[in-house]
Amino acid sequence: MTKRLTSSTKYSIWNIFLVVAMFCLPMFSFGSTDLEADMKPVTGVVTSAADGLPLIGVTVAVKGTTSGTITDFDGKFSIEAEDGAVLVFSYTGFTTQEIIVGAEGTYNIALEADVELLDEVVVIGYGKQKKSHITGSVSKVTNDNLDQIPIARVDDALVGQVAGVNIQMNNPAAGEAPTIRVRGQGSISFDSAPLIVVDGIAVGTDADFLSSIDMNDVESVEILKDAASSAIYGSRGANGIVMITTKEGKEGPVKFNYKSYIGFKSVPKTDVLTTVDEWLEYTRANNSGELPEKLQYVALFGQQTDWEEVMMDGGMIHSHSLSARGGTKNTRFRASLSYLDDEGVLLTDNYRKINFRLNLDTKVSERISFGIMLNPSHTEQRRFPIGVHDAIRQHAWLPLFLDENNIQYVNRFRENGRWADAQIGDYAMERMFDDYDLDAMMPSMGSGTDISGTSNQSSLAKVLERDRRKFQTKIFANAYATVNILDGFYFRQRIGGDVRFTRNTRWAGIEASRNGAADSESIRTTSQRFHTVSESTLNLDKSFGEHDVNFVGGFAYEQWDWEESELEAAGFDNDLIQTIPAANLVGGFTFQEEERLISYLSRVNYAFANKYLVSLSARWDGSSKFGPDNKFGFFPSASVGWRISEEGFLKDNDFIDELKIRVSYGITGSNAGIGPYDHIGLITPVGTALGGNSTGFNATNIANSELQWEKLKEFNPGVDISILNGRFGLSFDYYNRRSEDLLLNLPIPSVTGFETALVNKGVVENKGFELELRSKNITTKDFSWSTTALFTHNENTLVDFAGASGLISIVDDKRPAEWIAQEGHPISAFYGYVVSHEIGLEFIKNPFYPINGQSQDIYVRDINGDGVIDPDDRTILGDPYPDLVWSLGNNIRFKDFDLSIMFQGSHGAEVRNISSQYIKQEFSSNQDYTAEFPDADQVVQRIFTNDDIQSADFIALRNINLGYTFNSPGLGKVGIRNLRIYVGAQNLLYIMQGNYEGYNPEGADQGLGNPLTWGYQRGPAPIYRTVSAGLNLGF
Amino acid sequence: MKNIFLKSFFAIVCVALLAGCGKDSLILVPPSAIGDTGFYDTAEQVEGAVIAIYDGLQAIPLREFAATEMRSDNTRTKSREGDWAQFEDFAVLPTNLVVGLYWTVNYNVIFRANRVLENLDVVTGPLRDQFEGEARFARALAHFNLVRAYGAVPIIDKVIIQTDTEYYDRDNEVDVLAFIETDLTAAAGLLPSRSGMADGRATSGAANGLLAKVKLTRGDYSGAETILSNLINDPEYALVDDYGDVFYSEMNSEIIFAIPYLDDDANESQDYSFEMTAGGVRSGLNYPTDDFISVVDPDDTERSAILFSPNNAAEVGKFLTQSADARLCGNDWIVLRLADVYLMHAEAIMAGQQSTPSAAAIASYDAIRERVGLPSLADQGASELTRDMLLHERRMELAFENHRFYDLVRFGVAEDVLSAFAAAEGHSFSPTDLLLPIPQGEINVSSGLLLQNPGY
Repeated sequence: MTKRLTSSTKYSIWNIFLVVAMFCLPMFSFGSTDLEADMKPVTGVVTSAADGLPLIGVTVAVKGTTSGTITDFDGKFSIEAEDGAVLVFSYTGFTTQEIIVGAEGTYNIALEADVELLDEVVVIGYGKQKKSHITGSVSKVTNDNLDQIPIARVDDALVGQVAGVNIQMNNPAAGEAPTIRVRGQGSISFDSAPLIVVDGIAVGTDADFLSSIDMNDVESVEILKDAASSAIYGSRGANGIVMITTKEGKEGPVKFNYKSYIGFKSVPKTDVLTTVDEWLEYTRANNSGELPEKLQYVALFGQQTDWEEVMMDGGMIHSHSLSARGGTKNTRFRASLSYLDDEGVLLTDNYRKINFRLNLDTKVSERISFGIMLNPSHTEQRRFPIGVHDAIRQHAWLPLFLDENNIQYVNRFRENGRWADAQIGDYAMERMFDDYDLDAMMPSMGSGTDISGTSNQSSLAKVLERDRRKFQTKIFANAYATVNILDGFYFRQRIGGDVRFTRNTRWAGIEASRNGAADSESIRTTSQRFHTVSESTLNLDKSFGEHDVNFVGGFAYEQWDWEESELEAAGFDNDLIQTIPAANLVGGFTFQEEERLISYLSRVNYAFANKYLVSLSARWDGSSKFGPDNKFGFFPSASVGWRISEEGFLKDNDFIDELKIRVSYGITGSNAGIGPYDHIGLITPVGTALGGNSTGFNATNIANSELQWEKLKEFNPGVDISILNGRFGLSFDYYNRRSEDLLLNLPIPSVTGFETALVNKGVVENKGFELELRSKNITTKDFSWSTTALFTHNENTLVDFAGASGLISIVDDKRPAEWIAQEGHPISAFYGYVVSHEIGLEFIKNPFYPINGQSQDIYVRDINGDGVIDPDDRTILGDPYPDLVWSLGNNIRFKDFDLSIMFQGSHGAEVRNISSQYIKQEFSSNQDYTAEFPDADQVVQRIFTNDDIQSADFIALRNINLGYTFNSPGLGKVGIRNLRIYVGAQNLLYIMQGNYEGYNPEGADQGLGNPLTWGYQRGPAPIYRTVSAGLNLGF
Repeated sequence: MKNIFLKSFFAIVCVALLAGCGKDSLILVPPSAIGDTGFYDTAEQVEGAVIAIYDGLQAIPLREFAATEMRSDNTRTKSREGDWAQFEDFAVLPTNLVVGLYWTVNYNVIFRANRVLENLDVVTGPLRDQFEGEARFARALAHFNLVRAYGAVPIIDKVIIQTDTEYYDRDNEVDVLAFIETDLTAAAGLLPSRSGMADGRATSGAANGLLAKVKLTRGDYSGAETILSNLINDPEYALVDDYGDVFYSEMNSEIIFAIPYLDDDANESQDYSFEMTAGGVRSGLNYPTDDFISVVDPDDTERSAILFSPNNAAEVGKFLTQSADARLCGNDWIVLRLADVYLMHAEAIMAGQQSTPSAAAIASYDAIRERVGLPSLADQGASELTRDMLLHERRMELAFENHRFYDLVRFGVAEDVLSAFAAAEGHSFSPTDLLLPIPQGEINVSSGLLLQNPGY
């Protein structure tokens, strides 16, 4: 109790700090130095030596003083300096140049590109490293233009940017997270989401963290892919690390940036449903021109609704972000405020976020510096309450509401006069229109024609009369202090953490269901999660002679506190109030958990003569989640590299500028699937209705004192090549990831009283390659064109399933289509029968009704040839993992225009699209067979066959963006530093395979996050297309 | 200034370092649960484990109707879909979810009972007898459910874990029934009578009633008759006047053992009431078959009014929910009631014969008929109570209470009746359908020790 009070006090102090910080910002002064008498103005232009283009933002400093400036939009600078002073021109990617101020007042400087252009600095765990010295597999995505993609989430922006990282739009409703998989699915029982690290703080694997970061604040995203690189994160590294680095303050006068875009969203494909007219035509064509009675009624009724259009009504996204950045030599800051409003393409999916961020770094003295990062945000998401398949499955003849015309067909006698009082404006539902007398042309009293296919409410009511929202307030904070002990040897202390307040509300009104008030409900869940981190490291970064040494060693302590409470109410008499009155309360609980992690970590990176590279790391993680017999885990890694191009025999070769081979091996872990107390045999309170109500205590699991992390062992050789002065580049990685000691809720005999026991068993292997090709096709002053191509291939194999090989899993017991987990095959594989041929229409009693209907059953093949169709004829029908994912990006610049185009494709994956069963009305009893139906023992339901296994291949024009940068000197005069406008589109083209019957081939996770039923598609939100326009304004 | 900064900085570092060190800080106590070491130390805690047995029992009736009523000639599904239709088709697969679930929930109750039995040492006196009696009653009930549904099943008489493979294989039916009888006999002696126990908890009456049914199942008719006539004469039990009150006046004087639920309580409610309506997520389960409807005596109006729902005559009317939320139903599940005892009494006297002239048997039979205004045996012009009459009466009186299938088995007519019924429905019935398959999932994890029933 005391502990929790302390935590909340701490965070409220942060709150106050936030407010103070906001008010203090304008008060930072970036003092101008007093000018001395013999100063004179020095001006000039800085260009790139290679192409003569002006360089914007080059730092020009007077050596030994605090005075400095940066070049403007045209590469021009102007600075006061005295004769004999030394001006230093520095710019990332270029060699720093110095000049001595002489008699002249003008100096035009041409900066040479740094020959070690590859020496971009890459953020790795607990430090940075020169890209040329990297021996593991780390991909860096710099936010050059990602913030112009009109999407609400950082992870969505990374689609197609990194080889080996598959970001899948599983359910792209507004605000929903995509699924991120680094080099395949390693866990059998749990999500394999990567660890997210923001500015050095590991926040967790929950994609929630990526929803509150504004892309405009992101400097770069690094992804640590191989186990050797991620082993520094110990028991949390096995699924890769996504490291987000936010923009820091920069020395110089305060600069403001305003970025904004607006985009219009629509669904590219809406042709899955059949219209009434099309169906009538089809029926006449196949039924000698005749319409069966039901269709005669439908034709007479004369209503048509395009449910795709109603439910996927399009949306709009707009974003505004204002940032300020600047600083003195000693104190630098960046602050930003952003707002985003995303109305999804579905009828009721919306997402809004407001985000503030402050990064502040200050140097207190030569030895000591500190900084803070503060990021409060608030998000609100309204969810589409039902699956898309459910929203569009009803008959196309059903109108939305009763109107003057259709109300005459409402049967006021049926179901004890349920619709006796039907009014114009009421939701229409199918049953209302049953029992119509086609001869008398009026509703009948039991002898008429029925056309309803469902007793459900119309999906419009199901959607509009429900309200599901998620509100989150997050504060992410992080402070550090660095003490330089000796040159290049420093101590760093970091304290940080995050707090999340989440509120979920769920309301179903009286008209939301056919059961009316009896099914009305209101559920409110609130949770608060505190996570605090303290991290102390000693760092050494030193070069002497030909030796480059980088060392980090330290200690980290983390704590998580989580509390959730829920109130549940039901049986509302009316829709007036959606909060919970005491009278309607039917349930509620609170729940609390804690977790702790203690870590010791160390790493040495060593390079000799820039040629021979070695990296060794080790981490010990102790977690409260591990069983007492395995409290601490050890996670070592080693990697080596050889830059052959630095050897004498290649050094002067004009053709090859970089040739590096590298090999890494590491062991890392994943503790994400373990609950905080899973290793303990728990006894929890249970209720009964004895004597009214009384509480007992029941054992809920079997204790496992050996419970531990899942282990990943990965071997990763790779090569990096760059030729012709950086004109062509290639990186190739092969990897073999072996995930061992996998946590399994292993089925055990129920005679024990339990169905499963959580154990560390099982092995999964992911192996594959990543190929990255870069080419600078054309580089001239006015025209440049570069291309990047990425290819990823991954193969997933279940190696050892701890005796459970052949396990069949299903998702929905009403549609028990099967998956099999069989050793030697992927973790998730579709299982079932192979279709032979359709049942002839002549054997179906009502082949033309319902509209868009098809028979529930289909003939299947006798695979084993034993003459009978039985479960032995089932086989593996496909798997949901792509064989090849690629992307192709082109960046073209012509004078002040820039164009970027990125295509992405995925091949070889399948989904089990159960939505087809709903949309095709397969379960209708109208589809029963005639008595003379032949070979009735050779049909099975379609859901058990490959009829629903559909190709998930796609090729998409993910992003296209055309920008224009205003380059007029006039802008400067009105205070505008830079201005760029652009138009763009996302998913402008999205090509799906012919046999796919849906709106989103990437939707593979309606199996509720279970890796064993991955690929189950049941009405995910559709892929959307966004056409947008935006501007970036600097002043 | 610099000094102050340095000092405070190092202070922070020290605090941070101190806060975390040591392995002990990695041992956390769950705030919302209790670790199992150090529980069951007091009588109150053991009673907590006893009450947990009743929580476990709440899971048993949820889908039991599918494996009993829908597998008999009494009921069917509305839509004949998926796993559910397998019961009425007599084509139950070992992978059927209900088959797996029913096995699991019963063994879970057995586990809970064994937990109590192995922790009784801290309890003394009458309370100890009561707890032991409750646990042994529940353990027997669950084993009885299992042996009737699956045939030979493993007897679990202590808490086991997954490495205790010697408990995986099946014990033969005779041994299981003997084990059940031992437990029930002991429980009947240990438990207080109804007036001494809270509603819903096991009593000596409940143990005796169930014991009698076990004896009937084993063919020990005379043993059963003694117990049953004692129960009929027990002043703590009486038939209620109104047939509807049996179901809609809960814990009435006729109830010998029932599993209670609460309306509109997310945790303590059941949803079988909901599933048996068209509103259910399965669009209607446990609908009376045409065969059932056709044999209802037109004069049996008092019972018919309860057998069929007034809202929808195609639905069962015994468990209509009174809750505001349609899915959170509070109707208790009656496991054993006095009317069943009366009819078992007649059955015990008949002792496996085709008929009986016994006045005591006829009196018990008549008591049930007269309560609902139907003519007595004599008024029907008969002098002997026949097996068919008794079976028919049980079918009507106890309809949809999950007795029918086992009644047919006990009366030795299951094969004939169900074959004829299946043929009329266009399905085929074979004698092996009298037992459910052992759940495939259980066979898969049994290291080959648990064997399937014949015919599956």
